[in-house]
Amino acid sequence: METVKVAFTVNNEETVLQVSPNETLLETLRERLDLTGAKESCGIGSCGACTVEVNGLPLRSCIVLTSEMQGADITTVEGLNREGKLHPLQQTFMEEGAVQCGFCTSGMIMTAKTLLDKNNQPTQKEIIKTISSNVCRCTGYKKIVKAVGEASKKTA
Amino acid sequence: MILPGFEYRKATSVADAIALYNDFEGKARYLAGGTDLMPLLKYRLAAPAAIIDLKGIEELKAIAAIDGWLTIGANVTLFELKNHPVVKEYFPLLYQSLDATSCETLQMRATIGGNLLQDTRCIEYNKSLEWRAARGFCLKMGGKCCNVVPHSRVCLSNYCSDNALSLVALSAEADLAEAGGEKTAGLEKIYTGSGSKPFVVEPGTLLTRIRIPLEKSKGVYEKLRVRNSIDYPLAAVAVAMKKSVARVCVGGVGPAPLVYELAGTDEGTLRDAANSASTDARAVPNAILSPAYRKKMVGVLFRRAVQKVLREGA
Ligand SMILES: Cc1cc2nc3c(=O)[nH]c(=O)nc-3n(C[C@H](O)[C@H](O)[C@H](O)COP(=O)(O)OP(=O)(O)OC[C@H]3O[C@@H](n4cnc5c(N)ncnc54)[C@H](O)[C@@H]3O)c2cc1C
Ligand code: FES
Ligand code: FES
Repeated sequence: METVKVAFTVNNEETVLQVSPNETLLETLRERLDLTGAKESCGIGSCGACTVEVNGLPLRSCIVLTSEMQGADITTVEGLNREGKLHPLQQTFMEEGAVQCGFCTSGMIMTAKTLLDKNNQPTQKEIIKTISSNVCRCTGYKKIVKAVGEASKKTA
Repeated sequence: MILPGFEYRKATSVADAIALYNDFEGKARYLAGGTDLMPLLKYRLAAPAAIIDLKGIEELKAIAAIDGWLTIGANVTLFELKNHPVVKEYFPLLYQSLDATSCETLQMRATIGGNLLQDTRCIEYNKSLEWRAARGFCLKMGGKCCNVVPHSRVCLSNYCSDNALSLVALSAEADLAEAGGEKTAGLEKIYTGSGSKPFVVEPGTLLTRIRIPLEKSKGVYEKLRVRNSIDYPLAAVAVAMKKSVARVCVGGVGPAPLVYELAGTDEGTLRDAANSASTDARAVPNAILSPAYRKKMVGVLFRRAVQKVLREGA
């Protein structure tokens, strides 16, 4: 396999890598860049645990090749924390107890972040629609929806 | 889950993509959003020598309303299409099926071309290599018999594109590019009816555009699924109504969508048409709901969808 050279930004840091063509973005983030916030759960695009933000959109990184990321602007859950201060979503997920085992949490937060960035006053319905892209096997959805609503009050 | 090995190439034009396909002697797969292809690769249901990325082809990203057609480039994402003002105004049916496709995160990555050319699905097929090897390969994997209906000689895996149903109901056409040139086919003509090889298009053919006649229509999409988000259709019905003529497309059951034109919209005609659609539906135990239920629901959704169009004109 011919390796592929890709240059992209992760959490505001320019990154240039030579990767195998069959390497997924999730593998690159977790195994090369030590960004283990995005989780591998299903590995086939069904659950959203691996969601990161790419060019302003949520993306399931387990079914995307790193080779496809040339020029991309990527944010992972690790990039939300600015100068030691948590993102409002991280704060409200803790306050509302929207975390049980925590495996879906970073994917939920990244998905919700892309919603709040575009629409900082979402209705309950809009929050549910966005969050329904992700699966929580502990089924703590009510508290997750509540936490996103509370965070929207802080970002407004 | 680790992907198998392959080369990665990024095509810059339609001609370039077809040339790359030929360079790899056909042992290549086109990649759009990858939301159908990547899971297949992870399960070793495809083993191409190369992946040819189509996302760099600018001309496949355009949507235009010209000369009486809405022309949609194959690489337009489902989310972009759903939010296009012409779709909302002219084709409420297509809006509804796009909105009902998987979930918004996937809609933002998935393309309309990939949606139409997605592989058919079966509970015995979309499984890991280890699982399938233990069970024995079925017809679609090159084996001798179907693992769902043991004596069946044809594969009845399900074609699960939500948007194909709307587009067929709206009489859409597909532009297909091959090494020899470009041709156009009515969308409903691209299916073989066999799940082992669901499409008539030759390998290496590139779907470039989908075209819908630009006439306002009423429409309703009804989809049976269990989670209401992320999941594929288990049966679905699309109705497009133009000048009191209803074109109905049934899918999610079997390898190809089925089309019906309603001769009238009175209760008797509707009941008969719904019953015959339910009879035609070849449901077998290859999905998470029972075949009897899915078959019955084809008739129920058929009536429900047509009645909704008549009532609400939605
Ligand atoms: C969890 C999950 C849920 C899903 N739910 C649904 C659902 O409810 N309804 C539904 O319809 N789909 C569903 N899908 C399937 C898939 O997401 C969609 O069908 C999507 O639109 C596929 O588009 P893509 O761009 O990702 O295709 P890709 O995976 O990139 O391509 C799909 C196939 O088409 C070929 N191809 C792509 N573009 C072209 C082209 N221009 N010319 C020739 N060949 C091409 C590829 O080689 C491949 O074989 C789901 C997928 C997942 C992972
Ligand atoms: S791990 Fe990527 S979607 Fe489940
Ligand atoms: S908290 Fe356990 S999966 Fe969501």
